[in-house]
Amino acid sequence: MLELKNIWKTYDTTPALAGVDLKVRQGETVVIMGPSGCGKSTLIRCINRLTEPDMGDILVNGDSVLGLSQAELMAFRRKVGFVFQQFHLIGRLTVLENVMFHLVLAGFDRGWAEAQAAAALAKVGLSHVHERKPDELSGGQQQRVAIARALAAGPELMLWDEPTASLDPILVGEVLEVMEDLVRTTQTTMVIVTHEVSFALRVAHRIVLMDQGQIVEEGPPEVIFKAPVSEIGLKYKKLLVS
Amino acid sequence: MLSFFRDGFYKDFIVLLTLTILLGTGFSAGIAWALDAYFGDTLSDMIGEYGQYDIILHIQEASKEAAFRELERIRDQHFPGARLSETITIAGQANFFFGLPEELRTKEVMANLAAYFAAVPGLNSHTIISDPSILIRSVHGSVFDELAAQIEQLPGVKFAFADVGNMIVILEDPARSKELEAEIRKLLAEYQLVELRFPMGFEVDTAQVGEEAIRLLEKELPGRKYRNVTAAQYGEDLDAFLKTLVEMRDFLLSYASKVHITADPGVYLIVGEQIAIQAQSIRPLEEGGILTDDNVVIEITAVSGSEAEGMIIRGEIAPAMESLEQTGFRIFSDGQIAKPIGQVVVENERYRLAYAIDESLRLLEELEVLSVQANDAVQNADAVLNTFQEALLQLEVLQVQMRQLNEGITGKGASASSEQLLVTLLVNGLFQSLAQAAVQAGEDSLGSLENLDVAAMRASLDQISQQIANVQSIDVQAIINQIQYVRDTLPMLGDEEIGRSIRLINTYIAGQVIPGERIQIMVEDGQVDEEQVEKLLRSSLDNPYLNIYSTSVGVINPDARSEIFRLLTEVRAIIAGLLAIVFTGAILILDHATVFSTLKYLRRVSRARTSRWQRVLNPVLFLGALLGAVVLAAVYRLSGAQIPYLSHGTIALIGAAVGWLVAKFAERFSPVNVKEFTAGQALGLSNVQIMREIVIPGSRPGLMNLLNRWKQQF
Repeated sequence: MLELKNIWKTYDTTPALAGVDLKVRQGETVVIMGPSGCGKSTLIRCINRLTEPDMGDILVNGDSVLGLSQAELMAFRRKVGFVFQQFHLIGRLTVLENVMFHLVLAGFDRGWAEAQAAAALAKVGLSHVHERKPDELSGGQQQRVAIARALAAGPELMLWDEPTASLDPILVGEVLEVMEDLVRTTQTTMVIVTHEVSFALRVAHRIVLMDQGQIVEEGPPEVIFKAPVSEIGLKYKKLLVS
Repeated sequence: MLSFFRDGFYKDFIVLLTLTILLGTGFSAGIAWALDAYFGDTLSDMIGEYGQYDIILHIQEASKEAAFRELERIRDQHFPGARLSETITIAGQANFFFGLPEELRTKEVMANLAAYFAAVPGLNSHTIISDPSILIRSVHGSVFDELAAQIEQLPGVKFAFADVGNMIVILEDPARSKELEAEIRKLLAEYQLVELRFPMGFEVDTAQVGEEAIRLLEKELPGRKYRNVTAAQYGEDLDAFLKTLVEMRDFLLSYASKVHITADPGVYLIVGEQIAIQAQSIRPLEEGGILTDDNVVIEITAVSGSEAEGMIIRGEIAPAMESLEQTGFRIFSDGQIAKPIGQVVVENERYRLAYAIDESLRLLEELEVLSVQANDAVQNADAVLNTFQEALLQLEVLQVQMRQLNEGITGKGASASSEQLLVTLLVNGLFQSLAQAAVQAGEDSLGSLENLDVAAMRASLDQISQQIANVQSIDVQAIINQIQYVRDTLPMLGDEEIGRSIRLINTYIAGQVIPGERIQIMVEDGQVDEEQVEKLLRSSLDNPYLNIYSTSVGVINPDARSEIFRLLTEVRAIIAGLLAIVFTGAILILDHATVFSTLKYLRRVSRARTSRWQRVLNPVLFLGALLGAVVLAAVYRLSGAQIPYLSHGTIALIGAAVGWLVAKFAERFSPVNVKEFTAGQALGLSNVQIMREIVIPGSRPGLMNLLNRWKQQF
């Protein structure tokens, strides 16, 4: 479904991605892990071109994402759900509006959009906070709203950029629970960037380890964490054992 | 960057830009107009509307009620339908507007308008304020009529008339004011007044020298017309006044006590230095002491070697003192007495004059008495002469009788009667000897008396009598009264007052150009070079002190009211200009900074890698500069703004600079919420949607924010 070919991205003179190749199958959940600054977030942002790669190509269902026109890119993005590390909710809108507004702007009926949003919020357990503003919610709730927003349009691909990284450890659980539930109950293709090893172990079909802008190892979680070949893999194994 | 606008936002942006310009124009022009209207109304209250009034009469505040009544009377009597109103009173001076009805705004009326008000109580002065008009100040009398006639020929000029040495040109249309001003300037430029000034005391036959100068000018600087207009010179009053002041100073000097100073050896005196003498003070002056009110202070007016002249500038010598000789001392500015400088002799001219007048008065009184006595004496002499003549006649008769008696006694003569003979015989013995002696003596004396020229004596007496009568016909008492009056007024002029007056006159005169003789030559049909004329006439007239001044025959003065209103218009234009700049800055910060910061963000995250030059030559900054230039130039032009010395090009540059700076620091003015923006992107919103739903609603309140609400869905 998704194929990244030789993706390069350099910030000033520092390469963030150095020739990344990755394939994700339809319905597959791929968890990308690696130390901070290894290029995970850059890679996932390149997929829907929130960050423009310097070189390489990204194919979705065989079509190059980098060759899309502005309108096509917008259409593509509407099919891709993206959950940010820091929620990225619109502060002036209510929870319900945050979840439905892109549907309305995409041309859907307002009523339908509202119903979709309500359903998405219900899915993440937030039916009771429709009229609240994001800053009236806890971090975990905000992230769940962000997840609901990503789910509302029924995405073909979900991209998660460290969705629990900015959460208080106590709140991490509620988000991971929602995510795990989604993975298990939907057939949506997911690419998740996270540091949550146990979560990865539970939900990932495949784990991709990155270091210094490159994929250093990939494979099923039980393989990666049991018999890692890369230095990073070994570190994760130690972490998992401990 | 272009894709950002292509996405659909360009429509919003064009609407925003258009409205920005319109709003800016309205804002700048509106506020400037409001200020202009406010000040204009205030001014109109103070100086009347344009063309509403013709004359302002400046009246002493104390007389304004009476003046107003008189003005009403004049209006009703001479100018029915005229407008009269009182305006502000400033510094004790009330001001009244007087506006003529249109049909009375004729040359005849306007030229004599001031005269109608001459007798208004408390009138100080007037100002003609008819509009539309052009005021030409100080028009030379010799060309006034000629110039007025030429000006009246100009299309658009109604008429011209004189007002206190100025010419006021009434126009038909205020719009032609500038054009006609230029025409009149051209006419004035046809004339040049060249003035030849001779030093004071230099006596010149102005007619002869004037003709000589003209002859020289015609020969050496041909091609122009020269005319001696000395008689028509203006400023004669001032000249006369200055000359009178000089005469008055000399007059006072002649009354002032004469001070003569003989400096001690080694002492050098200078003009202007002050010397003190003891005068009437009981305490003698001594070095280190302090001046008292009884001391006299003298200012040295002339120095020649060790001798100096001076005048008293403080204190008096004793009024009854003819002269005074004392030691003089220098004094310091704080009144402390310094070293002695020599002997000071003060001669009281007024005392001498008073003494002479006193003696004259006595003489006149004596003369009157003497004339009466002389008249009595002449009359007595006349009476004596009559008596004498009568006595002489009787003596002659007696002499005849005696002679006959003698002849009778001596038998000589005719025969006599017996009684006669008896008497003769009786007295003959007694008187013979006596008679003979008497006859002898009588003949001698009578001969002498007869020799007296009585007629001549009478004629002399008549002459004397006539002269005495002439003397008596003189009104001696009147002369005495007048001399007494002069005598009485003399003591009123003290030396100090005289000294101070002289100093004051000198001070005033020092600030004035004291004219000596001067000749004015009118040059027509071209100008001459001042220096060239001076050089020529100095050498030809053999006077190196001759000065040449060249002036215009009149100066166009801006009409005060028009000037004020023009100033107001300028101020309005300046305010509009400044407001346009402020508005441009504000609107760029409030609205466009959001666009700039968004563009800069998009550029930052774009796929295209930028070179160093591209980063320096950031197109967003150029867009900012362009927008600033367009907005400011458009607002500036449409609002009628005009800042002196700033052309429209400069204004556009200022706008560009403001726009550049706003774009440069756009993130500080209106930062993009990157999280929300990225969320919008990730959700598949177009740029215009992101702008409308995320960026603009979250930006500073402004025009863009306001306009956005129409299209904003959430």
